[in-house]
Amino acid sequence: MGTMGLALPWEHRIPPVPRDRERRVEPFREPANPAGIDPAAEAARAEDSALAAACQAGDLRAYERLYALQGARMKNLARNLLGNSQDAEDAVQETFLKVQRGIGSFRGQSSFLTWTFRILVNTCHDARRKRVRKKEVASEDETGEPLRPEPRAPSAHPSLRLALERALAELTRHQRDVFLLYEVEGFHHAEIAAMLEITETASKNTLFQAKKNLRQMLEAPRGADGAM
Amino acid sequence: MNVTCNDRDSIFEDGTPAQWVALETHAATCPACAEQLRAWKSLSLAAAQLRDYQTSPSLWPRIESALAAGAEASNSPVSWWDRSSARLGSRFSWQLAAAGAFALLLLVSGGWLYRNQTSHLPTAASQSPLLRNKALGKVQHAEAAYVQAIDKLAADAKPQLENPETPLLASYREKLQVLDSAIEDLRAQTGLNPSNAHLRYQLLAMYQEKQRTLEEILETKP
Repeated sequence: MGTMGLALPWEHRIPPVPRDRERRVEPFREPANPAGIDPAAEAARAEDSALAAACQAGDLRAYERLYALQGARMKNLARNLLGNSQDAEDAVQETFLKVQRGIGSFRGQSSFLTWTFRILVNTCHDARRKRVRKKEVASEDETGEPLRPEPRAPSAHPSLRLALERALAELTRHQRDVFLLYEVEGFHHAEIAAMLEITETASKNTLFQAKKNLRQMLEAPRGADGAM
Repeated sequence: MNVTCNDRDSIFEDGTPAQWVALETHAATCPACAEQLRAWKSLSLAAAQLRDYQTSPSLWPRIESALAAGAEASNSPVSWWDRSSARLGSRFSWQLAAAGAFALLLLVSGGWLYRNQTSHLPTAASQSPLLRNKALGKVQHAEAAYVQAIDKLAADAKPQLENPETPLLASYREKLQVLDSAIEDLRAQTGLNPSNAHLRYQLLAMYQEKQRTLEEILETKP
């Protein structure tokens, strides 16, 4: 693959964004605590179990806590999967209701957070399928369900975001899911594997394919100047 | 650790931190790998543009009231019927109704048939083939409605069973195959002896097990 015209020289303009919500350590970054137990991860696990238990007990404050911890992240993922805030909020609400209805069957085989996000991802896919069916009923010619990103809050690089959103819409569903969960939301491959019911190796391979495809799509034609 | 240009893709896919360090070291003297590495990392940086963690002030109140309504509904003294309907969604209501009606009718009619089969005392009912045929017709009619209802449940569960994504779904599929086979056998036997209440009860038990299994499958769908 030629890289001279690769339209990805953003790192010269974008300072690395502090990923304050992220718990993952990139393989190409030095781990914060290479040896020994990560106390933050331990605390997160304990909180996860406590939250699951409180939700199982029917404590509505536990759901509020879940929302406070993960609501924004859930909505962000839903918006990236569905393309607009309204549908994203509906999907988050539906997810909370499904969690409430299904909490009795939660056995702790995965973390509560992973389980919740699995429900969210499935809810988003159901919502997309419903939109496709509605379109079919309306006898529109379109057979696919392209993402139509809505205008968002101003960002530092709106053209970059738009290009990425368009490229993401061209990926397969699995590639898009894995890219968003790993690169945007900062989940580990083990967590993504549990959410999407695939193996960890499949998650890594899917991410690799997704990034390769994104690079191809975002690569400027050969001979173009490196302005982008 | 030494890496070469050929190792690059495998490190991108599943490299350990040590391999990444080795690749960075290699890239310092290899312009091609340096460019690939830069482009690869830049995608991760670009992904930050898709993070918009602004909260919506109206979302939590919306969710909270929906959750409160859900909690109230599950705490209120509702019937098994209401709980089942809520759990499975309104789309299964008529199927549950049909199942219940069939079970009730089968119990009453089956009991009646059984009593008349085993009774030594001649009664007006046992002496009237018309009455017996009428009851049997009702049972068969209700059974047909119940089977139709279960078929609808089976159609809803079909996408999950065609390509079972988990071992649990695969075992549900096997269980359903066994149940279907048993149901076929029992139906063949009841075809030969339609008034045999014992066979009808066995068939009902099989149908109920199939219904429960299908409900469990549908409940596994998040």
